Amino acid sequence: MKRTDSCVHPYPAGDTSLRRFALEAKTLGYDAIVCVGGAESGMIHGVRVMTGIVIREPSMNAVISRIKRCRSDVDIVMVGAGDAAFNRAALAYRGVDLLCNLFAAQKKAFDHVAAKNAAENGIAIDISLHPLIHQSGGARQRALGMYADILRLHRRYGFRLTLSSGAYSYLDLRSVREVIRLCSLFGMEKDEITRALSTVEHLACPPEPVEVVP
Amino acid sequence: MKPRPPTLRDKRRYILCAVDPVHRRHEPRRMYYAIQNAVTSLWGDHGSAKIQMAVVGGDEGYVIVRCIRGTEDLLEAAIATVTGLDGERVALHPVAVSGTIRALRRRMRPAPPVRMMDEIEIDGRTVTPCAYSRQKVDLFAKGIKNQESLYFTHDDMEES
Repeated sequence: MKRTDSCVHPYPAGDTSLRRFALEAKTLGYDAIVCVGGAESGMIHGVRVMTGIVIREPSMNAVISRIKRCRSDVDIVMVGAGDAAFNRAALAYRGVDLLCNLFAAQKKAFDHVAAKNAAENGIAIDISLHPLIHQSGGARQRALGMYADILRLHRRYGFRLTLSSGAYSYLDLRSVREVIRLCSLFGMEKDEITRALSTVEHLACPPEPVEVVP
Repeated sequence: MKPRPPTLRDKRRYILCAVDPVHRRHEPRRMYYAIQNAVTSLWGDHGSAKIQMAVVGGDEGYVIVRCIRGTEDLLEAAIATVTGLDGERVALHPVAVSGTIRALRRRMRPAPPVRMMDEIEIDGRTVTPCAYSRQKVDLFAKGIKNQESLYFTHDDMEES
């Protein structure tokens, strides 16, 4: 099973180059990373590098038109979460791979209807470790509460989860061992964490029906 | 003062943490304050009292932290939330847990030699490269308020 960090931001958005990210991710136990804003994908220093895009638009129509423009250029399409209605619509559209940044959304932004949509359409929900690492006090408490709620819905409806560091620097990356410790803060079990780390591998290569090519 | 009998002593564990960036040295006292703040922020005063964290030593690139047996997971979670030290970005990665400091010292690897290079220009900024390990190159640029850092590899340097 491949362990993947589903969102890093290499130079120039961050202060670490793509190759350095790959090198450090290998040291920390990752097999693949998804780079937002990265130009190249492939194998770098034994780590599979995938390209991703985070779409933050106010309306679903704008999201759909952006996905149609960029779908062929990137491996993973992520949509930034909004309010409850937006999230339900985004999770009903099959062109989306991941819904991310839920920690920044409203309290009831991800409900059981959105969870059902995510499970039916095979769209994963991203859990970012960025607020757990970099924030404190009320902001971190809100993030932990949100993630505990997402986990409860995940156990009920069975949609996929992914884990990301949201790293802008290689110093923001956390090893797999630390990810297990941080995810246990909101009740995630080790097997759930392992499955979440390998979800991106399935999103990038979805199973297709067998075709007989004459 | 007479020491406690062994059955009444607190059982402790030691956690070896790798410090990034490797080549920066930090005072043990500052390291203690940073980790203690992280523990208190995450687990509160009650959790912090249960863990009884202490920085007991280390070497270049490593720090050894002590805690009460049974609280290693709590301390590792708090160590993962340490992001800064002495106004600089830092990352601590727990590597191993042991009952003795000696066993952890055997797991420490020597820090790679650091080689400072001549100033170069990248994206209109003058930076000083600092090469260590086989591929890693850290670039330091003097900013307006403090030093800015970029983290590249040798392959990136050859391309730019």
